[in-house]
Amino acid sequence: MRNYEIMFIVNPNVAEDEIDKINAQIESIVTTGGGNVAKVEKMGKRRLAYPVEKFRDGFYVLLTITAGGDIIKETERRLRVMDPVIKYLTVRMDEDIRRQDKIKAHRAKRAARRSANSAGRPAAPEQSIED
Amino acid sequence: MAIQKQYYRRKKVCKFCVERIDSINYKDVKLLSQFVPERAKIMPRRISGVCSPHQRRLTDAIMKARNIALLPFATE
Repeated sequence: MRNYEIMFIVNPNVAEDEIDKINAQIESIVTTGGGNVAKVEKMGKRRLAYPVEKFRDGFYVLLTITAGGDIIKETERRLRVMDPVIKYLTVRMDEDIRRQDKIKAHRAKRAARRSANSAGRPAAPEQSIED
Repeated sequence: MAIQKQYYRRKKVCKFCVERIDSINYKDVKLLSQFVPERAKIMPRRISGVCSPHQRRLTDAIMKARNIALLPFATE
């Protein structure tokens, strides 16, 4: 199980309840496959940076889910088939989250050490860590 | 005597290191668009001063944002 974000763009002329229907469909796919939908965020109508299928605007929806690879494959297939969905993007987030946790832990440790011997010499400039 | 440098060039620093921006996310259009000038190309490191690990992540994020039409590939 991994964390993913699926962002998709819906045809701007589609009604709001239609979008809810699409979300419900995807949610059911994920949950029946054993995954979990953490968040459904409708980001609203936005101007597209370039025309997609002759549309200049689009309705953005962002889903944060935890699922395995085969569920993702199935959801992507469904998104491709759905007519109102004009574009989608799936991004794997777990590596990024882990990296951020690592940086945060590192920073907390440094801060603790600094406050422990605060009276001494000025603290060394912090280095950023990257893995 | 050596010729003195006439201009003082300010040392460029990596924005992400200085401001401690940990995550470069593809959804953060406001941040990313600072690194895509008018032609919508990605700004080179030698101009922006971003360090190489951060430039790598920045490029990744910009490419994702382009894919989902948050940022343009090119401007007309």
